[in-house]
Amino acid sequence: MTFAVTVGGNSVECGEDQALLDACLRAGVWMPNSCNQGTCGTCKLHVVAGEVDHGSSPVETLSDEERCAGMALACQARPRGDVELRPQGTSAARTANPLRDMVGTVREVSDIARDTRRILLGLNEPLTFDAGQYVELVVPGSGERRQYSLANTADEDKVLELHVKLVPDGVATHGWLFDGLAEGDEVDISGPLGDFHLPPESEDDGGPMVLIGGGTGLAPLIGIVRTALRRHPAREVVLYHGVRGEEELYDGDRLTELAEQHPNFRFVPVLSHEPADGYREGFPTDAFVEDVSTARGWTGWLCGPPAMVEAGVKAFKRRRMAPRNIHREKFTPADA
Amino acid sequence: MTTTERPDLSWLDEVTMADLERNPYATYERLRAEAPLAYVPVLGSYVASTEEVCREIATSPDFEAVITPAGGRTFGHPAVIGVNGDVHADLRTMIEPALQPAEVDRWVDDLVRPIARRYLEQFESDGQAELVAQFCEPVSVRSLGDLLGLHDVESDKLREWFAKLNRSFTNAAMTSGGEFANPEGFVEGDEAKAEIRSIVDPLIDKWIEHPDDSAISHWLHDGMPPGQTREREYIYPTIYVYLLGAMQEPGHGMASTLVGLFGRPEQLEEVVDDPTLIPRAVAEGVRWTSPIWSATARISTKPVTVAGVDLPEGTPVMMSYGSANHDTGRYEAPTTYDLHRPPLPHLAFGAGNHACAGIYFANHTMRIALEELFEAIPNLERDTRAGVEFWGWGFRGPTSLHVTWEV
Ligand code: HEM
Ligand code: FES
Repeated sequence: MTFAVTVGGNSVECGEDQALLDACLRAGVWMPNSCNQGTCGTCKLHVVAGEVDHGSSPVETLSDEERCAGMALACQARPRGDVELRPQGTSAARTANPLRDMVGTVREVSDIARDTRRILLGLNEPLTFDAGQYVELVVPGSGERRQYSLANTADEDKVLELHVKLVPDGVATHGWLFDGLAEGDEVDISGPLGDFHLPPESEDDGGPMVLIGGGTGLAPLIGIVRTALRRHPAREVVLYHGVRGEEELYDGDRLTELAEQHPNFRFVPVLSHEPADGYREGFPTDAFVEDVSTARGWTGWLCGPPAMVEAGVKAFKRRRMAPRNIHREKFTPADA
Repeated sequence: MTTTERPDLSWLDEVTMADLERNPYATYERLRAEAPLAYVPVLGSYVASTEEVCREIATSPDFEAVITPAGGRTFGHPAVIGVNGDVHADLRTMIEPALQPAEVDRWVDDLVRPIARRYLEQFESDGQAELVAQFCEPVSVRSLGDLLGLHDVESDKLREWFAKLNRSFTNAAMTSGGEFANPEGFVEGDEAKAEIRSIVDPLIDKWIEHPDDSAISHWLHDGMPPGQTREREYIYPTIYVYLLGAMQEPGHGMASTLVGLFGRPEQLEEVVDDPTLIPRAVAEGVRWTSPIWSATARISTKPVTVAGVDLPEGTPVMMSYGSANHDTGRYEAPTTYDLHRPPLPHLAFGAGNHACAGIYFANHTMRIALEELFEAIPNLERDTRAGVEFWGWGFRGPTSLHVTWEV
């Protein structure tokens, strides 16, 4: 008889007389352990669902209170059925904004820069999300899904704003969003998704922030920046927008206006390949390293092509930003 | 039992303490291959070198604990590592309350994090540091020192004590006549103990009259009838166990983990970017270079046969956990630090009823220290102008670790 043991996204098989730790380690799933004899407590974890037999767990290592609170020693406990475990020190998943399937109606399609469109999708029911999250669009006829970040703040919940870059031969862009999409069209949407968003307002201390967006990677940063400044109007915020040339820049007016209202907010467009008068040249991550001598105590936000995100992480660490404060949008805009 | 021909181990006659202290691995690799339980002349003792034999002896009902001769000469009796039965039970009952996981959880973060921060603040803007002396050892000794009630003893003094006690405890060379080969090697340990007594005796006097929440105060009072305390002569040997191993090893563990990670830059980056990987990195660090490499022993309580070797009753065997953790029968490429190696339990904290009492506290101390280090200096690099040397047979770790970073 074996049961399924789920921990941190992994599922392993565990015999009814096998210790949870043994099953995990044998399956190559690491969890903290040291003595393997129930005496040190290193393997203590939370049983989130299901029941375990504590076996010979000593009360000195696992008190009755801890047992009642759903804790177990993985090196001693045996499953009594399927169980779900959570390692100690990891917090229970935040109640996420519920994922929904919905139909949106195209309100506006506008060309805002070279090969770049803004698409506004109206919803019947408002969507609950955090600024910075993304949605998936179903590409008609192909069943394929593509991910696009929302440029909205959380209260702009009835009309979703997406920024889309043309991908040569891309099914979603070349074949649809840049070809034939018209006002009034209906679009199948799922969302919100992702963990690229600010902490809840109660945990946001208003500390300095730097955000770097490459191309349409600017979209979620527009939602995040506006949210952050609304919470703390005087906070120090620098937003870099990296593009190849001036023709790819957009929303400059919107951001300049924001900078006028918030003296500690700076917007810095940076051109990598086609220099132009009045603009910074090079990569936005290098511009950050030039401008900011220390980013200790800052939070950092990165959305763009993988190479830019990698470079951003390095740049932030070089300026001594704590790695746990570095946020990156992990999905790669793929549309080939 | 059929007696096969015993391997020729005459090569062991050539092995010196200095060889073992510089690098014990080659000798023990050969022992594991040729004789997992062997008599090693320079140590004047049997040695268990494989994972299987160490585990078997450490958990066997036919063995009990014994302190090594040099250890006994250094600590005196009754040290928790060398006693059995009621005395061992009493000493474990005395030390365990402060080290229970639920208890440690209550205060370990508030204890260790500010200490780590304080040491980091002293050098984080310098762009370079020697982490063993400036961070790993100080965080290790200050955390435990404050827990024990030794707030007024400088961290550098605690570091000096563990280093002196270490060299005395591991002054293990024996003559063929069974005498200590270097009796003068115990002098610095004796000096350290005299100094320890001159500082701790008055504290004990104070705690006898005015108990407080420090660990040693509890050792004196807990479980005793009202008005009585444990005799100081009874607890000193275990105080020395703490002032050596418990003070030194979390520092060794952190430093070895860092050296291991510096050898795998992509794994270092992973751990810096995701601090939840630190416990795994530390577990591999203490497997890779076990801080308590070979310092404890067991003794047979009746005639037994282990690994094909007949041992009469009363035969001491040294536990070489640092060797067991490099057992190729268990680990692929054990000399390589690899955060992602298939996870298996290791023996860095020993096994059986004398397994380390401080595992939980030690693991959390190392975790918190490295969390703070990587948070403050995420761009840490090894300073390749200086090499890294490891030293030690009984206890092992890097002697220094020079690092640089951009400020
Ligand atoms: C990374 C750090 C440490 C390592 C690798 C370590 C490892 C060990 C090992 C291998 C033993 C011998 C076990 C045996 O013979 O089977 C031991 C014993 C012991 N350790 Fe640790 N230790 C560490 C830190 C600590 C700390 C911080 C404390 C206390 C606060 C502590 C308290 C003890 C005690 C009391 C014993 C003797 C147990 C007995 O004989 O009953 N250790 N340790
Ligand atoms: S590993 Fe020590 S209690 Fe489970």
